[in-house]
Amino acid sequence: MSEPAASPGPAASPGPAASPGPAASPEPAASQPDSTRTGPGRLLVAVYGLFALSASARAGVQIATKFGHAPVAYVLSAFAGVVYILATVTLTLGSPTARRIAVLSCSVELAGVLAVGTWSLADPASFPDATVWSGYGSGYGFVPLVLPVFGLLWLRRWSRRARTRGTIVVSAEDTGEAAGGGIAHGEGGDHGMVSTG
Amino acid sequence: MSSVNGAVPTTIIVAGLALAGYALLMTALNRRMNVPLLAAVGVLEILLLVEVGIIVAKLTGGQRPAALATLIGYLIATPIVPVVAAFWGLMERSRWGPAVIAVAGLVAAVLMVRLHQIWPVIHV
Repeated sequence: MSEPAASPGPAASPGPAASPGPAASPEPAASQPDSTRTGPGRLLVAVYGLFALSASARAGVQIATKFGHAPVAYVLSAFAGVVYILATVTLTLGSPTARRIAVLSCSVELAGVLAVGTWSLADPASFPDATVWSGYGSGYGFVPLVLPVFGLLWLRRWSRRARTRGTIVVSAEDTGEAAGGGIAHGEGGDHGMVSTG
Repeated sequence: MSSVNGAVPTTIIVAGLALAGYALLMTALNRRMNVPLLAAVGVLEILLLVEVGIIVAKLTGGQRPAALATLIGYLIATPIVPVVAAFWGLMERSRWGPAVIAVAGLVAAVLMVRLHQIWPVIHV
């Protein structure tokens, strides 16, 4: 048990620990984000929530009042709305399963904005009315294009942190050899404590 | 009357953008949520409520936009935005709290432009 835990520990820790450690500790030194909805995730969830509301509400009104006018655009808007709702909820929950679903929905979203963006430019006749993803989200300041990228970056960074934390827990319970990696992580946090306290 | 109608949305756009700029500055300077920022959100909220009141007055006066359902959706969503942002930002104990407020400021400005697009009677 200790061997498999110790071997991925040092192997995984120098890379990810070196990059998120110093990068993350100076900013939120006092309060490390402890879930996907805190720290930068707070902003991410806010923007996702905004798009979940606006995309689904808009699609709902369009489908209810004038579905025949631009069926393709409205169905795609509704789909985008569902994906945004899924991303908002899973980013807020932040459990390992939720994060996996969040990665999936961010990926679908990125693929969607690229595909629909290209489609809307290649075949404007199919889009008499715009969707959230038309023209790569140009109607929404290209936020729909940028948002999934930040979402995926955040989820990756957070899952790395969770993984390094996992090794700290293991190293604390385990031998001093594995704790060597743990001390390296602890340093960043201790600096934060010293500077604040 | 029309000058008043135009003045409120214009004020909201300026106030929203100013709030966003101030909040983003706080994020850049690693500041957390504080009372002055909350007060500024409160001012924005009051302005938005005034604008909603003006539009409701137009509706009760008998005027109707083409997209009535959309307009009503905007009238409901508009005053909620700063309130939700304030709560969500207050839950954050880092620089990212003000960043949420910055989004609310930008959204308020965008909403005024969108309201004008939905119903050109609403001047900007």
